[in-house]
Parts: sequence; structure tokens; C-alpha cells
Amino acid sequence: MASVIDESGRVNLFHEEFARCPQPAYAELRRRCPVGRMVLSGAPIISRYEDVLWALRHPEIFSSEMELQMQLGTERPMIPQQIDPPAQTRYRKLLDPHFSRRKMEELAPAVARHARELIDGFAAKGECEFDSAFAIPLPCTAFLHLLGLPLSDLSFFLELKDDIIRPHKGRPGVHPDEFQSVRSAAGARNYDYFRRALDEREARPRDDLLTALSRAEIDGERLTRNDILDICFLLLLAGLDTVTSTLGCNMTYLAANPDQRRRLVDQPSLIPGAVEELLRWETPVVAVPRVVKRDVTLSGVELKEGELATLLLGAANTDDEHFEDAQRVDFERERNIHAAFGAGPHRCLGSHLARMELRVAMEVWHERIPDYAIKPGETPRFSPGIREALYLPLVWDV
Amino acid sequence: MRIRLDRAKCVGHGRCYVLAPDVFEDDERGHCVVRKEEVPKEFEEQARRGEQNCPEGAIALVD
Repeated sequence: MASVIDESGRVNLFHEEFARCPQPAYAELRRRCPVGRMVLSGAPIISRYEDVLWALRHPEIFSSEMELQMQLGTERPMIPQQIDPPAQTRYRKLLDPHFSRRKMEELAPAVARHARELIDGFAAKGECEFDSAFAIPLPCTAFLHLLGLPLSDLSFFLELKDDIIRPHKGRPGVHPDEFQSVRSAAGARNYDYFRRALDEREARPRDDLLTALSRAEIDGERLTRNDILDICFLLLLAGLDTVTSTLGCNMTYLAANPDQRRRLVDQPSLIPGAVEELLRWETPVVAVPRVVKRDVTLSGVELKEGELATLLLGAANTDDEHFEDAQRVDFERERNIHAAFGAGPHRCLGSHLARMELRVAMEVWHERIPDYAIKPGETPRFSPGIREALYLPLVWDV
Repeated sequence: MRIRLDRAKCVGHGRCYVLAPDVFEDDERGHCVVRKEEVPKEFEEQARRGEQNCPEGAIALVD
């Protein structure tokens, strides 16, 4: 573990071992340095449940308003993720009903259909690379469905989000200095796309989220065109990679733990509990950033105004102080207060969408392909940051 | 058993009305609404699950 946490207690979150199996490093961090420091930047990294939750619930001290948005090809902050209460609350009141559990459940049959179609494409082969064959396309089709956009635009969006999140992908010769221009160009394509889509809906309203946003009002005033574009940007960036990564983490765990998998196959009613427990244990969105607005002390360590703090959700979710038998994966855990979707006012807007997609995907997959394993001789590869299983070769009998 | 909900703490995780649907329901925003403040005996176990699984600690049970 020395390579993830060095002798002076500095943490390298971008180490591949950490992306593959972060739980041992989490335990060491909570024990040795609950408020640690990142390698290179020296920025604070917070790992105890109590501290992480406190920070999430105090946006006036741990703010989401940061100057970093340009790194993602945006021209303005994404709404509502990169703005704080009270302005953020007004947007959440408007957006929450469109992402409520009830609304998201209405999409379940379409997601199940897409999942079956994807599996139909490879089931007879007895193998697939799970990330590209299933985990990437499924959330994207759900996103298109939700917004009321044509499925034929799937590849446009997949390229777009890769250019923004992973500008190095498919560009072996490109120097990292140029990544920012790749991102900005993708950001501009994204704004253009949604400008056109909104124009079409203003001319011919439909029964979809974009039409609803184009008519939405806050305190009697219409949202501006930029407001809507800034919401759409967030939906694209937050809604695709996160569920993709969670699907990959779940399947890696279940492929490596056949006894647990068999329980889900024999008893599909355990799936919702398994989704929660794997969100806790795997925490694919490992951390969220916050800007420290004024000096504050956590676990005896002083954080300074202006520092960029990393709240380690994964470490909080495996904290023995707050979860009984925290290091055991228990699909029937009675009390599961994980913060995989964050907490406080910025609780993930898409959490009910994600939960529905994960449940449906797990149900459909195990109905069709109950027995599978990681391809012998192969090792899954994970990306740092958000833990996407970039390479997950699965095999099964046909 | 009575339920005391701190609405200011609720941010809409939705665990309560999923795990204890006879005791809690969701409003339009997906925030918690208590169906009946006085919990019927047969739903006390549900009420406990809802209370235990609120990540914001917004639900309290009073005997």
C-alpha cells in the first residue's frame, strides 16, 4: 500500500491499485491521517464518515462553487452542481420533480428493453468486454430517453463525453497541453447541440424534459437559455460515466464472488439491497471536491480558506465507526446510510435514476446470463478518479 | 410510536419511502412525507427501518 499512501502520509488517488481496490487504503487513511494531504498539490483529503458528512452538510464552509469548471469545457458553472444554496435550492425545487423516484420508475420498462437488446447482441458469443458492450451504452440510452432525444445520437454523445472526461482516449499522439482545447471544442459542440434541440422544442413543444425546461419558471421568471444549457451540460457529464462505472464495479465484484452472485440469481428480491450495498462498498464516485470558504478544523487538523478539499466518499462509506461490520459485503444490511450519492443539499440529483438503472440492469443481466466469470488469464483494468472498469472481459457458457 | 420528521434536514434520498412504504411517502420533489404520525403497531418495524436508513438523520421515533 506504500504506493497509494507514502511514508509521510501523502495520498496518490490516481494510483491504479487504488482504483482497482481502494478499501485497504481507505482503512489506513482513516486510521493514520483522517485529514490527509494529496501528493504534489498537498490539498486536504478527508476520509472519516463523520467529517465527510459534516462537510457535505455545510456548503457555506465547503463550497461547490469553484473556478475549475473550465477544465471540463464549460463556459459557466454547471447547474445546480457548481452553485450553492440559496440559488441552488431554487433550481433543485424546479429539477427534483423531474428526477423523482416516481418519474424515474416510469422509465424502467424502456431501460429494461434497451438492456435486453444489448444482451441479445452478444449473449450467443459466450463473452463480451462488459464496459463497451453494456456499461457504456445503457446509461446513455437512458439519458437520451429521459431528455427526449433520438437514439441515433448515441455515438455523438459518447464521443462528446469522452472528449471532455477522457480527452486522451483515442488520441495517442496528442500532447496533454492540447487536451484543454479538445475539451473546449467538445463543450462548444455540446452547447450547439442543445441550442438546436431547444429551438426545435420552442417551435414544436413535445412531452419531454427539454420542453419542460424551456417553459420552466423560477419565481415567475423563465429560465434563461444559458441556465438550461448549463443544466444540460451537467446531465450529460454526471449521468453517463457514473452509472457506467457503477455497473462495471458491480459486475467485477459479482464475477469474482460467485456465492454472492448465486444468491442474487436465486433470489432476485435481494437485488435492490445488493445495489445499495455495492454502492457503499465500491463507491464508484470515489470523492467529491469542495472549496474551503473559511478556516475550519476537522479531526484536529486545520483547513485553510481557499484550499481545495477532497471528500473521500468511499472512505466514509467503509468507516467502521458508522457501519456495523463495515468490511463485509452484506446484501441484507439492515442499516445502510452510505453517502455514495453525497448528502446534504447537493445530494445527487440523479440518484433515483441511477438506482433504477442499476436495479433493472442487474435484474435483466442475471435473468439472461446468470453464470459468468472474468475471462481466465485476464485482469480487469480500472480508471482512477471515477472507478470505471475500462476493461472487463467476461465469459459464460453458451 | 410516533414519528417526528425534521423537514429541514430531508434532502430527498428517498430511502424511507422505499424501505417503509406504509409509513412514509414522497412529495412531488421526492422529499419525505409521513403518512400517519401515530404508527400502527403492524408498521412499527417498517418505521424503524425508515428511521435507521435516513442518511440525514431527519427521522426520529418517539414511544
